[in-house]
Amino acid sequence: MKIQVNEQSVELTQTVNIEQLLVHLDKPLIGSAVAVNQAIVSRSQWSEFMINEGDTISLFQAIAGG
Amino acid sequence: MLSDTELLRYSRHLLLEEVGEVGQQKLKNANVLIIGMGGLGAPASLYLAAAGIGHLVLNDFDDIEVSNLQRQITFQQTDIGQSKVDASKQRLQQLNPEIKVRSINKQMSALQLGMELTMADLVLDCTDNMASRQMINKACVEAKVPLIVGAAIRLEGQLMFFDHRQSESPCYHCLFPDSEEQTLNCSNSGIIGPVVGTVGTLQALEAIKYFVGLPSGIKNKLKLFDGKSLDWQTFAINKDPLCNVCGQH
Repeated sequence: MKIQVNEQSVELTQTVNIEQLLVHLDKPLIGSAVAVNQAIVSRSQWSEFMINEGDTISLFQAIAGG
Repeated sequence: MLSDTELLRYSRHLLLEEVGEVGQQKLKNANVLIIGMGGLGAPASLYLAAAGIGHLVLNDFDDIEVSNLQRQITFQQTDIGQSKVDASKQRLQQLNPEIKVRSINKQMSALQLGMELTMADLVLDCTDNMASRQMINKACVEAKVPLIVGAAIRLEGQLMFFDHRQSESPCYHCLFPDSEEQTLNCSNSGIIGPVVGTVGTLQALEAIKYFVGLPSGIKNKLKLFDGKSLDWQTFAINKDPLCNVCGQH
């Protein structure tokens, strides 16, 4: 399954939810936000939200500076 | 009613169909609480004072340091050592004596913030840490006061608007549920002045639009600004039904 993560192509060998994707990509869970196809997916949904073929994933960190 | 001096001062607003005399009067009647008078609060407060927001309340508890002057454009060399809110208040009153500016030179408790929100029509979160951001969000959800959030570090900015008058509105906590202090702030990551200035300026623009009745470009959205490419990304924020801040409301 091919998806896009922060404009990079990523190949997955099995279906994953968002939490598994972050672990697979070695990304921190704390302080991260995830959008799938330009919509933010709340943290409480990460373990249920399945990634589909062709999805565009954006991962970014909360920033607090000002 | 606007005075003759106000009609002259705001004449470039009055030329706009989107503002006009009715809109200017709405700006004059507005009460805005700006929390954090750093790199975001500086341009936000300057533009809102210049635009004729009638009542500005400025909150911070820091004194001005030389390292602030690289980006916090309300302050000058001679202000070093003064409190940020006092120096800002003085600067804003010099810029526009037609408006009222009040300063709160302390870290507000949730209780005091709640009291302030009973008098605020809109809040600008211009703070520099996650604990304050979570507290402000919670207080605005509870008080049903709209909140415009800006943040920036390095060459990146984040901007969002939540209209908490509407019970179906998502909140900051739906997006960023972690209250643990993030490692990313201006003191340890660095920041380029115009990046944080861009975000603060847009917080002011959204505030003006809110009061004159123009739809927001960032309501229930997160805008990410990339200061390298100047590209913006936009993401929809949906209410998290399990959010422990706005979920039960």
